[in-house]
Amino acid sequence: MIRRRFPWWSYLVVVTGAVLTVVPFLDMVMTSFKGAGEAGTLPYRFLPEAFDLSNYRAAIDQLDLPVLFRNSVIATAVITGSVLLTSSLAGYALAKLRFPGRNLIFRLVLSTMMFPPFLFFIPHFLILVHWPLAGGNDLFGRGGAGLTVSIAALAMPFLVNGFGIFLMRQFMVSIPDEVLEAARIDGAGEFAVWWRIVVPQTRPVVLTLGLLTFVHAWNEYIWALLISTANPDVMTLPVGIQFLQDYVDPTRTMPIVMAGLVLSVLPVLIPFLLLQKYYIRGVMLSGLK
Amino acid sequence: MVNVDALTPATTERAAPGTRSAGTAVDGRARARRRQAVVAYLFLAPSLLFFAVFLILPLGFALLLSMSRWAGFDLGGIQPVGLDNFTGLFADGSTFLAPILTNTLLFALGTVVLALAGSVVVTTCIDNLRFQGLWRTLYFLPIVTTVVAVGNVWKYMYEPGGLVNGVLNALGFASVAFLQDPATALPSVVVVHAWASVGSAILVLTAGLKSIPESYYEAAALDGAGPVTVFWKITLPLLRPSLLLVCVTQLISGLQSFALIIVMTKGGPGDATNVAALEMYRQAFSYGHWGPASAAAFVLFVVVLVITLVQLWIFRRKGEDA
Repeated sequence: MIRRRFPWWSYLVVVTGAVLTVVPFLDMVMTSFKGAGEAGTLPYRFLPEAFDLSNYRAAIDQLDLPVLFRNSVIATAVITGSVLLTSSLAGYALAKLRFPGRNLIFRLVLSTMMFPPFLFFIPHFLILVHWPLAGGNDLFGRGGAGLTVSIAALAMPFLVNGFGIFLMRQFMVSIPDEVLEAARIDGAGEFAVWWRIVVPQTRPVVLTLGLLTFVHAWNEYIWALLISTANPDVMTLPVGIQFLQDYVDPTRTMPIVMAGLVLSVLPVLIPFLLLQKYYIRGVMLSGLK
Repeated sequence: MVNVDALTPATTERAAPGTRSAGTAVDGRARARRRQAVVAYLFLAPSLLFFAVFLILPLGFALLLSMSRWAGFDLGGIQPVGLDNFTGLFADGSTFLAPILTNTLLFALGTVVLALAGSVVVTTCIDNLRFQGLWRTLYFLPIVTTVVAVGNVWKYMYEPGGLVNGVLNALGFASVAFLQDPATALPSVVVVHAWASVGSAILVLTAGLKSIPESYYEAAALDGAGPVTVFWKITLPLLRPSLLLVCVTQLISGLQSFALIIVMTKGGPGDATNVAALEMYRQAFSYGHWGPASAAAFVLFVVVLVITLVQLWIFRRKGEDA
């Protein structure tokens, strides 16, 4: 079998590539331990002189990391929870219920994946500014800042996901109708059928979609940047770290920035390593990230 | 599942006998169907409401804005200006076509070429090795990392005192001002974007590779074909649908991306790394030029759409519906 031999040049290529992939992360970790004036100076040195943990302390204090962390957690949790719930509900209706307009709605769901995100930054922002009866706005959305100053703004454009609905629907189609019919005859309402029979069977797709959504939401930068510019109180981790790196002397604060980055990467790295097969399935199903 | 099997025959038994009159059965079924439609719309209501407010309304709004002049936030101040915003983008002295749109295409193409070449080589080599899952997971790390981390680590590595110049100096080369020199800034960012995309490309190519029947390789081995011949004559041709998929999805995402550029260069030096999506973002949120920004967004959308349609056309023509 020609595929299963282990030539040295394959090892060479794969190991070289893996080193190129991992070294930036190692550089990040190493820099996070470097002392003041030790990073960005000539000649370059990979290892820190001493493993200085004070940068982590400084990142937590200077970045106000607990607040950034809290905002990131709230936004990510709300987005992930909402996407799972709405995708499951809509997916069930599209997969298992008969109703007029079903094909039309399914096509609408598919078409939502066609529009690139950048098309929506401006209108989404303006819609949130003019949200009625929020942030000092009147009924017609005039007079105040609307929802742009609330933490809800971080999550709102991401609460429903066309790809999520599609994924749930595709999975639920394969659940046999007889099972649902049996439950209905036993007197279960549609909501009970969905919650007691369909939801428990969708565990693998819930993990896949949940992990994919979680990683996306945690790493989201552009929209969070927009909202944080309007209101620094709702700054998320990536935005806060970028803010520090933009406005403070780089040679002095680089280790602190890297410490903050290490802390911001860990919360997705750990679930990814534990549940990677579900995440990878999601990426393959959605084409590419 | 045992319960389910036990229930199924009972269902058919209970549903089958026509003890009631035909009329009531039809009535009952119609009522059940109507009730199911109501329930279905209840299940769909949150999603449909969301799409109305965050998809359909915004699309109309963006189109309106692209043909208006409007500064500030007072909705009453929107003035229609026809296609002025679009002609403005392509007028003499506008930087939109060159360098911005040119940069966008170079950025996307450069990324595709690098990521594709890298992922093809690595994917086929991983296939020869043990611990394949471990290798793929390593290559996947940049994908699960925030763009702020990727951008900042690389920005720091490109510094005079950073890792890349450290290696260059150790090899006897002079330092390069990667991100500060207009000539090297765009390629430097392209390398980072490609580096971050290789992992997902490997994934798609691996799926394609695994679907090539083992017997082809056995036959080639019997004929005494070497690994290089096998790669060119079997692996690469049969991998073509996956290659095309990677190519096009990477191209589309490359045309749209600008977060990495915001983090690493903010479009500079000058406009050396400015791309269409970033220009749109800046026009809108730095200068409040909603109209020209929306027009730029639609132009970029059309570019992406045309490339998507060309992709579909190629897939159809080759009979490789993917």
